[in-house]
Amino acid sequence: MHIPDGFLDTKTAAVTMGLAAAGVGWAAHSVRKTLPPRKVPLLGVTAAFIFAAQMLNFPIAGGTSGHLLGGMLAAVLLGPSAGVLVLASVLIIQCLLFADGGLLALGANIFNMGIVGTAGAYGIYWLVRRRAKGLQGQLMAAAFASWCAVVIASTSCAAQLALSGTVRWGIAFPAMAGVHMLIGVGEAIITTLVLATIAATRPDLLREEARAAGAPRYRGVIVYGLLIAIGLALLISPFASPWPDGLERVAGKLDFMGKAALHPLVRAPLPDYVIPGIGSPVVATALAGAIGTIVMFVFAVILARVVTRRTMAGDRESAAVR
Amino acid sequence: MHHDYLDRFSRLDSPVHRVPAWLKLACALSLLLITILIPMSRAALFGVLAALLIAIAVASRLPLLSLAGRLLMLEPFVLGVALLSLFQPGGGAIFLRLVARGSLCLFTVLLLSSTTPFSEILTVFRKLRVPAILITMLALMYRYIFVLVDEAERMSRARASRTFRRDRSHMWRARGDVIGRLFVRSTERAERIYAAMCARGWKT
Amino acid sequence: MNAFEVSGLSFRYADRDGALSDVSFTVEEGECLGVIGPNGAGKSTLLMHLNGLLPEKPGDRSPIRVFGEPIRDDNLDRVRREVGLLFQNPDDQIFCPTVFEDVAFGPKQFGSSGGDLRGIVDRALAQVGLVGYGNRSPHHLSHGEKRRVSIAGLLACAPRVLLLDEPTSDLDPRGRRELKALLRDLPITKVIASHDLEMIVELCPRVLILDEGRLVREGPTLELLNDEALMLIHGLERPHVLQHPHAHDRPHG
Repeated sequence: MHIPDGFLDTKTAAVTMGLAAAGVGWAAHSVRKTLPPRKVPLLGVTAAFIFAAQMLNFPIAGGTSGHLLGGMLAAVLLGPSAGVLVLASVLIIQCLLFADGGLLALGANIFNMGIVGTAGAYGIYWLVRRRAKGLQGQLMAAAFASWCAVVIASTSCAAQLALSGTVRWGIAFPAMAGVHMLIGVGEAIITTLVLATIAATRPDLLREEARAAGAPRYRGVIVYGLLIAIGLALLISPFASPWPDGLERVAGKLDFMGKAALHPLVRAPLPDYVIPGIGSPVVATALAGAIGTIVMFVFAVILARVVTRRTMAGDRESAAVR
Repeated sequence: MHHDYLDRFSRLDSPVHRVPAWLKLACALSLLLITILIPMSRAALFGVLAALLIAIAVASRLPLLSLAGRLLMLEPFVLGVALLSLFQPGGGAIFLRLVARGSLCLFTVLLLSSTTPFSEILTVFRKLRVPAILITMLALMYRYIFVLVDEAERMSRARASRTFRRDRSHMWRARGDVIGRLFVRSTERAERIYAAMCARGWKT
Repeated sequence: MNAFEVSGLSFRYADRDGALSDVSFTVEEGECLGVIGPNGAGKSTLLMHLNGLLPEKPGDRSPIRVFGEPIRDDNLDRVRREVGLLFQNPDDQIFCPTVFEDVAFGPKQFGSSGGDLRGIVDRALAQVGLVGYGNRSPHHLSHGEKRRVSIAGLLACAPRVLLLDEPTSDLDPRGRRELKALLRDLPITKVIASHDLEMIVELCPRVLILDEGRLVREGPTLELLNDEALMLIHGLERPHVLQHPHAHDRPHG
């Protein structure tokens, strides 16, 4: 999901840079106030860890392989603000030293993967976690949240490309979001497996109170929530207009007119083609996303159950051996 | 990953290397901005930029073949995104121009990172009032990337040498296990680093 | 004056195994003391007490006196400056992006800056034979070079004591020779914890034997290390250099 330089126009780069600076600035402020000094090296080493983890190949099929992004992982292990800083560091080093992701596009990449993919993921995790107890609940929440975050981040990425006039929304959104609905499954599985291993060897590292930057504070929830909401609104709302195509169909059937206002900054791209019965690929993708969310929720529950059972079995085995 | 991959040429000597880091960063940003602002219709200007970048590369006494190789390796990043632009009327021309623009930007950042040691970039960040915690993290991360990548590689190899089942689910679980254990080891390493920092009088 | 006076040191880790029980000994200024024992005996734990890293809160009744003064919260700074600790793993000890910054870390914490700092770092690097290494990145260095950079980082603080935890582990024969020569030429007080019994014989006239957190014996190196039974009981063995002495190997020369 790293956007290289040359694909974003100046206004998009500027806006996303502002969003990223705000998010990282808040994260730094929050960490500085709550992090005990002995945890500072942990933040740096975890950043190196996430980088190293991202390099491991997870074979899928015929030569393709998946990789961990790690936003949810970092947020669960260290807390949302520390997680944001960790991912931001990873993205900065990837950009400057490995040319993975552009320098002017850094703001966009940090917003997508470092804020939406990390703090946003944590927000969803936290919401689900309140109703899901125990290790199984934790794994399930992490799996579901990481999938959602990956998909939303990819949507944000698509919006940035479309807003810059590089790729039309009608192509970018279905392509990016569609692919990442699959990639997100991988992220969910890997995140769950990693957390399960840590739970089996050092459960103290997963205890909420043991996290580096303390329990989520409401101010943090508000700041990140606002930031992400504003960012997504700015980026995606120009493209809400193709929806009238589907809406009009429905509206026409129900004899009801409601049209989303055209965003003044960008002319709405016209959908090139329609899929019979569904409408444009944009609508199709949105529908797939909605269905995917429900499917993913169920999948996350099953995944967590399977992995937890295996982890407990492993524990019993090693306890018996001892 | 080979240890000299990072910072391979950033300590050589040349007129470009001797330019202060902040100036190189500013120039790189300006070049990137210019590249982005060149409208698609004036594609000939891309050629001018390319010539300029090659001139800088020569002046910096960087091994050109190595540089070209590195650039080629990075191209897939650009091609991957640019591919999406093909699916529209006039896509072919847009695709070519996107690739040209993306490649020029890649080259610019590559030149920057090959002629500027990372610690000097961090010094510039410090002056730009980037949050101190982030700078500390970047310094530590830079120091320990290879240590951890090596550790991950060794753990994967050790695991693989004891694995007889090659099915995917087993591989995924093995890799997940390696990553999990790597994190645990990283927390222990972080504690030792903290001890080492305190032992040398780190004031918190 | 004694560099260290330890009386009845006892310690337990809160979250792991390992402890020290009632350890008492002294270290004279200028001497080179060896600390040997099996794995898990508490050698590293002991060294970390000698420079005030442990316990985490020294309190006001420390059983350890450093150059006459007990370790307290308010003199931790001085203790850390005067007593340098070389960690077993140089990758843990060198945490800055360049050699220069890492060697400069200690002196900087203690107040040096600018031209002074530069001079201190250069001298320390020269002392360990790494002139011109300032700009190098730690991940480019060999194990032996990293060890020497770690030592330079400690020497830059102008310590009066060096504590070394397994200094020759992971070194190839040349690295080991160079390190031994370096240590032999350093005139300050040294406490060396090591499995490298041949080196202990060469550098340390006196040793402490630790086992399971207890100080079981202390005395002249040759006498203790020649005692085969004693060595075997405590998970050690009589070093070959004593079994087959070579003409050119002079113990503690």
